[in-house]
Amino acid sequence: MSHGTVMPVEGPATLAWSEKAKAEVAEALARYPVKRSAVMPVLWIAQREWGWLPPAALRLVSESVGLPESEVFGIATFYSMFNLKPVGRHHLQVCMTLSCSIMGADRLFRHLEKKLGVGHLETTPDGRYTLRKVECLAACGMAPCMQVGFDYHENLDEAKVDALLEKLK
Amino acid sequence: MAKVTVDGRTVEVPAGTLVTDAARAAEVHVPIFCSHQKLPPLGACRICVVEVGTPKLGPDRQPVIGADGTPEIAWMPKVQTGCTTTVSDGMHVRTVSETAVKARKGVMEFLLVNHPLDCPVCDEGGECQLQDLAFAFGHDFSRMDEAKRTFDSEDLGPIVKKEANRCIVCMRCVRYCDEVMGENALTAHQRGVYTEISSFDRQPLACEQCGNCIEVCPVGALTALPYRFKARPWDLRQHITICEWCPNGCSVRLGVRGMEILRARGTEFRGVNQEYLCARGRFGHEFVNAPDRLTAPLVRTGAALQPATHDEAVAYASARLRDIAATHGPEAIAFLGGEKLNIEEQYLLQKLARAVIGTPHVDARTRPAAAVAGDALLRATGGGRPALSFEALTDAQEVLVLFEDLQGEAPFAQANIVRGFRQRDLHVTVAHSRRVKLARPRFKGDWLGLKPGTELALTLGLTRAALELGVPDGMPAEAAKALSASVAAFTPEKTEAETGVASAAITAAARRMREASRKALLFGRGVLEHAAAPVLLQAIENLAWSVGAITAETSSVMAFGPHHDSAGALEMGLTPDHLPGFVAAGDPAARAAYEKVWGRALPGEGSSARAALAAAAEGKVRALWIFSDELLSSAPDRALVERALEKCELVIINEMFLTRTAARAHVVFPVAAFAEKEGSTVNSERRLQKSNRALSPRRGARADWEVLQSVAQALGADWRYRSAEDVFREIARVVPGFRGLSYASLLPQGVQLSGPALAPRLQPVAPVAPAASAAGEGLWLLSGGTLFADGSLSARSNTLAKLAGSARVHVSPAEASRLGVGAGDMVELAGPAGSARFAVEVDDSVPAGAVFVPSAGSELNRLGAPSLAGLRVQARKAGAAATVGA
Amino acid sequence: MSRGPFLFSDIDKPGLAALDVYAQGGGYETVKATLGKVPADQVIEVVKASGLRGRGGAGFPTGLKWSFVPKASPKARYIVCNADESEPGTFKDRELMEKNPHLLIEGMILAGYAIGSNLGYIYLRGEFEYIQRILDRAIAEARAAGFLGDSVMGTGYKFQVHTHLGAGAYICGEETALLSSLEGFRGQPRLKPPFPAVEGLYACPTVVNNTETLMAVPAILKNGAAWYRQWGTEKSAGTKVLSVSGQVKRPGNYEVPLGYSMKQLIEVECGGMKDGLRVKAVIPGGSSVPLLPAADLDTGLDYESMNAKGTFLGSGGVIVIDNQTCIVDALWNITRFYEHESCGKCTPCREGTYWMSEVLERLENGHGKPEDIDLLADVADNILGKSFCALGDAAAMPVQGALKHFREEFEHHVTHKTCLANRRRAEVAGVGA
Repeated sequence: MSHGTVMPVEGPATLAWSEKAKAEVAEALARYPVKRSAVMPVLWIAQREWGWLPPAALRLVSESVGLPESEVFGIATFYSMFNLKPVGRHHLQVCMTLSCSIMGADRLFRHLEKKLGVGHLETTPDGRYTLRKVECLAACGMAPCMQVGFDYHENLDEAKVDALLEKLK
Repeated sequence: MAKVTVDGRTVEVPAGTLVTDAARAAEVHVPIFCSHQKLPPLGACRICVVEVGTPKLGPDRQPVIGADGTPEIAWMPKVQTGCTTTVSDGMHVRTVSETAVKARKGVMEFLLVNHPLDCPVCDEGGECQLQDLAFAFGHDFSRMDEAKRTFDSEDLGPIVKKEANRCIVCMRCVRYCDEVMGENALTAHQRGVYTEISSFDRQPLACEQCGNCIEVCPVGALTALPYRFKARPWDLRQHITICEWCPNGCSVRLGVRGMEILRARGTEFRGVNQEYLCARGRFGHEFVNAPDRLTAPLVRTGAALQPATHDEAVAYASARLRDIAATHGPEAIAFLGGEKLNIEEQYLLQKLARAVIGTPHVDARTRPAAAVAGDALLRATGGGRPALSFEALTDAQEVLVLFEDLQGEAPFAQANIVRGFRQRDLHVTVAHSRRVKLARPRFKGDWLGLKPGTELALTLGLTRAALELGVPDGMPAEAAKALSASVAAFTPEKTEAETGVASAAITAAARRMREASRKALLFGRGVLEHAAAPVLLQAIENLAWSVGAITAETSSVMAFGPHHDSAGALEMGLTPDHLPGFVAAGDPAARAAYEKVWGRALPGEGSSARAALAAAAEGKVRALWIFSDELLSSAPDRALVERALEKCELVIINEMFLTRTAARAHVVFPVAAFAEKEGSTVNSERRLQKSNRALSPRRGARADWEVLQSVAQALGADWRYRSAEDVFREIARVVPGFRGLSYASLLPQGVQLSGPALAPRLQPVAPVAPAASAAGEGLWLLSGGTLFADGSLSARSNTLAKLAGSARVHVSPAEASRLGVGAGDMVELAGPAGSARFAVEVDDSVPAGAVFVPSAGSELNRLGAPSLAGLRVQARKAGAAATVGA
Repeated sequence: MSRGPFLFSDIDKPGLAALDVYAQGGGYETVKATLGKVPADQVIEVVKASGLRGRGGAGFPTGLKWSFVPKASPKARYIVCNADESEPGTFKDRELMEKNPHLLIEGMILAGYAIGSNLGYIYLRGEFEYIQRILDRAIAEARAAGFLGDSVMGTGYKFQVHTHLGAGAYICGEETALLSSLEGFRGQPRLKPPFPAVEGLYACPTVVNNTETLMAVPAILKNGAAWYRQWGTEKSAGTKVLSVSGQVKRPGNYEVPLGYSMKQLIEVECGGMKDGLRVKAVIPGGSSVPLLPAADLDTGLDYESMNAKGTFLGSGGVIVIDNQTCIVDALWNITRFYEHESCGKCTPCREGTYWMSEVLERLENGHGKPEDIDLLADVADNILGKSFCALGDAAAMPVQGALKHFREEFEHHVTHKTCLANRRRAEVAGVGA
């Protein structure tokens, strides 16, 4: 795909930290001698709260860490694991890099596409699954591998994937 | 120093020089894109790759000499980016070896991989660095046969057009906006080949709209919407002149086609500003081409102003002037305004007034509420000593800004401070009632948020705190003692109680300034137009000495404006008490030299603008000649101006447009804009710079100096100036401080004026009782210049007018809720002289108990005088019954 | 059966991740024996003498890197563990940290002590969130037991370590990009010089070491340099954990003495190829290094032997390419990886990886032209050595290696518009059929 424009997805107009998140943000800030180092942990806290990072979340992060909003936006979009669009309940990230590809990742991905009826970066209409191709997950010896959220699922084949999907509500 | 050999040419350059700069010194062209003289080395674009080698050293650590008698060179295995490599002594550089050429051609080819072939539709074409360097250093064919990556194009607001397809990710725009402008409006998002420059969440840029991102973009990725598709650079004649918007004196390169200015740009390596321009400099030229420029002189016959020829107008004006002088004496004529004229014109203005007509009433400064001595500012800025330059400002460790919002009044000075903070070790302390840009947390400075009206108290408090640290360098011990005694009462605690600024902050600010070896003290209209200006100026002179910003030899004080040649007006004696060169008008011995040169006895001191207007309102002054001044809107006492204009039997006005003030005149001379005449001006660095003509004056308009000469000649004076340069030659002959100067000597960077260092006056200052209207109730009405709105001219520059919108009243969130208003609601402000309505803008930089209305376009003098400081108003939601005041 | 002589000798011990089990096996004794007792300079000398080299990919002598930290600098010092492990084919650090987190902590304490650092960070790739939890738990245990804190083991030496989670950017494995990311910027590399040891994190002296490197330190200090040199070669001392992937019977992590034959590793430890497949080529050190044809299988797994064959030991990610895998397809896969992971800072990498991916796509899909092969080679040559950081080289070298050893596969694609053999294509086509 060579058209690069990513249009922003708006999300809620304002957001505020929960008490728990506020405490986590304070802890994160305390771990570094320079405040701006906390921008990545605080982005993770925001993403855990809301599942993705709408502009309101980025504004909140920029306030908490003391960075201009534009910089936080630039940082968040640099990293592939920060979701700037909503994702389904189960984020299916299939590794497609060489070792996994040699071990059948492409076939596995095609299977998932057919089964779920969505393609790369798309979410099923019921909001249950988002399917995504990702790069090497450091599971090359246990290929093919898929990360669901943060959970590793390795040595996969079609049957195992089907069984796994059943369990993911 | 280091000896560096580039392609066989050896040059000696200072240690720490970058290879690209050493190459330039050796007159070898190494191409650059991401490199920029105001930004630290990045090494991203790779176009400047060269081969670098150093002499081989033998076991004895001496260079190994080869067979041909020259040192053997060990070449680095990989090419290096010249812009990130500092030279070492004996370094060799090859820029045209096979390796270097292949590497550079490779980079050039990569740059064109995704860059679209947009030249025919791209505004950058003809002045595009990528085009130029592709032509010089690239292939003449493309091997890239794949689909290119694309982006949507975007308008990032009303100024910036982004064609992201063209972007070569040099990051100059993002870095410049961060490090020089301190706005952080732009960011790179995504990564890799899909890196795209945009704003937060693709929102329209909410920034200073300076357009410098457009300027530094080496390709057509960022272009100016106001200029889009209007011309090709080869259609334009480009002339560099001095911008007329503020006293920074930036050099602006006007692009003219036919009789129209189409655009303005900065220019690398030219002027104090080089590539930098603010929104006004860049887009403010539009008024020059406004359709309602006056194209013929106007003379009042009966009730209406009628067009007349220049000769008719001159004849009428001179006859009337001769009449009035004969009947009521020359003192019945007063000359007001002139801060926007060139020094040549200013010189002739006061020469006409004093030496032809014989009146002493000359005052360019129509906005101050109180009369200020003509040399007060000179003293407060360490007069005579080498003046502070913008470079020194960027390099300062400590900067103290007193009561001035630099963003509106001196944007380039602000940018220097931002860059000093971002790239060097500059710390800024801003004393201002509003939390202006430089006082915002992101600049990690200190904000002394004083209560409005307490400027003098704070100054005295800072002085005392500074003197506590000991007698400063160069201050006579006696004076120090007297000064200390006079400020003894302003302890940090007392000052805190009066001003609301924490005592610890006061002592810290004073100490920082004292201890810094490189410092700067800045102030401007906030002081000059203050109700207590004369006292405040003296207090600032005292403070400057106390913190070491003025010493026996040096001055680190810079004062602004308000207009682009206000400094020139002071130099040329457009003040009632001084002749050109700060010669005291009231001193017969001092006057003698001028009397000799101009061939007649000269009058002594005259009245200030305020006093002259009062005299005109009473019928004692019967003729006023006003120069490019929207007096009705900008003078502190509007009612006084109304009466004066009503009463005067002769009002002559030099103007570009039929302004409200001009409409009251009996004679209106249409005059040339800054871009339409030659001359020289003095900026806030006391730098005298040559300003050039970019296009002929609008039909019917003449330079002010030509008008003055016509009238002078009609009055019998033997003036034979053929050009502005002729006038300058006379100035260089007769005015102290200008001896030996010529237009040629003003190239390339102008000349900073100085003179014999004035001895410190250091007069102790007694605290002034607050003005009558200031005591008691009401919200403080704060005002000042803002970036997009700066007087009547900005209203006639479409782009600026669009950016400014209509004047709004800025209220703090707390005040807004007390008034029961939100953004856009109408509020009525009522002052002693009248009332006015404004739409609300909620602004958290405005303190409680105050409101802020930009001075331009708001005609605040309808509410009362003085309008800049010391005025309290009542505010209520328009339509509501109750009034909210104290 | 132990999977290796040193780091893997006890890797599968149940409960090793818990402090009590770790301590039982002698864990943290070296900290007790070293802090305040052995001068920091001496610690550096021992590590230098051991010949330990960076195990992340660059192979820089570790002791030498530590010695670059200016002794007299008044600035704070930082020790940073590069646990960003994202090099395709590499998964050793993951297993090491998952199973033996305390060994990493102990290694960091000792490394920190050697360079005078009181604060360390473990930069983990974002996908290793579960490893962050394991490490955080271990850090809490260590702190409670006094191995971390204001006075480690009562010696007065202050040391604390925090984990920091990345978010999916291979480039953050480059040490200056890692520091950029850790400082809270976009993860783009920075100019060297100044080198991190002099001006790194927050412009302070910083040492960035790979996980495996740091985990070797406690045993080296405990047993001495000579002990470590019992394994390996003169230039490549000690052991390395290799990660083997591809169609071998037993893929996984294996620790071997440096110099061990790659042929042995694949045929013995990994049990050889599955399903009647044969080795066509092997990438010995993660996707960034040039591949070796099967003829060179018997090369020693050490830095100098690999260099002699025109490639690198790198991260030790051994990717076995079988005879049913198309080289052009494999190269396209790798090149797409670099295109995705390019940070975008410099022109050659940003544009060149895009270009090479596009050309390889056409070649693989049967739309290649004869001039494409030399074009690829020239584009790779124009990236190599011209980019801002090693990622550009990492994208260029596989292209050069593939063209050098398997040009005929590329020519076949041009002439016949198809692969010599491509199991992957067949399998994908067969899905849902």
